Amino acid sequence: MQNEEQLTCRIEDLANCCGGVDDDIMQKQSTEYQSASPILLEKIKVLGDKYVAIRRTRGDGNCFFRSFMFSYLEHILETQDGAEVDRIKLNVEECRKTLQSLGYVDFTFEDFFALFLEQLDDVLQGNENSISHEELLNRSRDQSVSDYVVMFFRFVTTGEIRKRSQFFEPFIFGLTNTTVEQFCKSSVEPMGEESDHMHITALSDALGVPIRVVYLDRSSCDAGVVSVNHHDFVPAPGNPPSATSASSESINPFITLLYRPGHYDILYPNYGTWNTCVYVVGWVDGTSFMLLSLTCIYYGMQTIKEVRVMEAVKINLNHEETQGCKAKALASSVFVLYIVINVQMLLNCEWGPKCRLPESFRQSSVPI
Amino acid sequence: MIDFARVQKELQECSRDMESSGIKVAPKSDNLARLTGTIPGPISSPYEGGTFQIDITLPDGYPFEPPKMQFATKVWHPNISSQSGAICLDILKDQWSPALTLKTALLSVQALLSAPEPDDPQDAVVAQQYLRDHQTFVGTARYWTETFAKTSSLGVEEKVQKLVEMGFPEALARSALESVGGDENSALEKLCSG
Repeated sequence: MQNEEQLTCRIEDLANCCGGVDDDIMQKQSTEYQSASPILLEKIKVLGDKYVAIRRTRGDGNCFFRSFMFSYLEHILETQDGAEVDRIKLNVEECRKTLQSLGYVDFTFEDFFALFLEQLDDVLQGNENSISHEELLNRSRDQSVSDYVVMFFRFVTTGEIRKRSQFFEPFIFGLTNTTVEQFCKSSVEPMGEESDHMHITALSDALGVPIRVVYLDRSSCDAGVVSVNHHDFVPAPGNPPSATSASSESINPFITLLYRPGHYDILYPNYGTWNTCVYVVGWVDGTSFMLLSLTCIYYGMQTIKEVRVMEAVKINLNHEETQGCKAKALASSVFVLYIVINVQMLLNCEWGPKCRLPESFRQSSVPI
Repeated sequence: MIDFARVQKELQECSRDMESSGIKVAPKSDNLARLTGTIPGPISSPYEGGTFQIDITLPDGYPFEPPKMQFATKVWHPNISSQSGAICLDILKDQWSPALTLKTALLSVQALLSAPEPDDPQDAVVAQQYLRDHQTFVGTARYWTETFAKTSSLGVEEKVQKLVEMGFPEALARSALESVGGDENSALEKLCSG
């Protein structure tokens, strides 16, 4: 019981911007973590370092698709990435053709496609139907929008799995002992059917959107170091994709979901921490750089990930004229760094070019 | 809120290939939430030759929620209640998907007629008979088909004629038949009770 409370509290720490919590989810959590293991508690702590918040989604079996929907549309709303919208629209058209060739009657899916495309256009600002972040939240909670988009993703997923049935067949047979078609009819197309690896792979491939899933489970880690596993679903380039889920270093998914057995939520990475760089202005040489590094270690293990030294101010150690400046340079460099670090600590590490935490997040207690 | 635009499209689609599928869906009145489906009994089953009427009610959440379907024609089948006509079929419950349509659902019902699943029965009595005394089951199912599912194959005029011969005024017989969708037995019931 004590464990339980502690854990809820820690999860709340992780989601400290989330506001109130849905009763249902609280209950779910307490049963989910009834026997919270030390590993799990440790993992939650690790998660807290890397992510600033979670956004909860309804636990109705559509959580993966709903999380994906919100996360993707929110990304477009924030970045206003018109090129990405154009790109995904091409994929959507491709999915439409796939469904037609599989014998799906147009009217069964066209409404769902139209509604998703409408959301895409609406999150781009500058036209009369443009929507705010708050409106996006409202729509995500409104079943007459949200469910249609979820169903759109289910169509996309089923189309992709059936189109590449040869690829998916062994996995499906191994997992459920059914045919690809039966699997799609019973586990993809009906609303409320939960998603797993196969659904995510198919959706990511079909739409060409990489997805990171962070796993919060009880599996322990090697060498006694607790880390939280994640898997990146990276759509393979080329059409049709030949291999999937091959982790690639160069691709950094902008959609991050937290998986706890049976449920997906949205995670917000702590970009402020990870992308912080410190620009050191001043004279730098071997000795002072070492001192700088030590200072970094002392003050900012958590906050400083990278120190950039301005090339322009590097000096030649053996140059006679500069010898006199060395002491001054060293002192000023350390001082600058000291200030930078302190400012960052004051700002609670949320300082950085890509740190995002929408305002509305703070008031949002209702899961999407 | 029912997506009526979609229901409209479904009806059009259905009437377009009625010839090949034999499946018919028609609204009971102006309200598209209540419809009547018609399926022919599958070939080489005890239901062959029969025409089965199915009452369809669309819930508010359609197409996210499954349509409610119930046999209006009496059927002897392990997965269909011989009393109420209730159907036990997964796609009409938790396996429903908006990717399905009234037509595909009716096709599944038709397939259920050819392939009963007595292990997941709706009507325990029929299921018992199906498993223990298959011969009798086939006989009963065939008899029910002859008795209840074939009358509607008569032309409207013949039915009216039959009712008139029973002693009902022609206009009354005609309107009674219309109000129950052409089913002679129901019309008779209606006339007797009215």
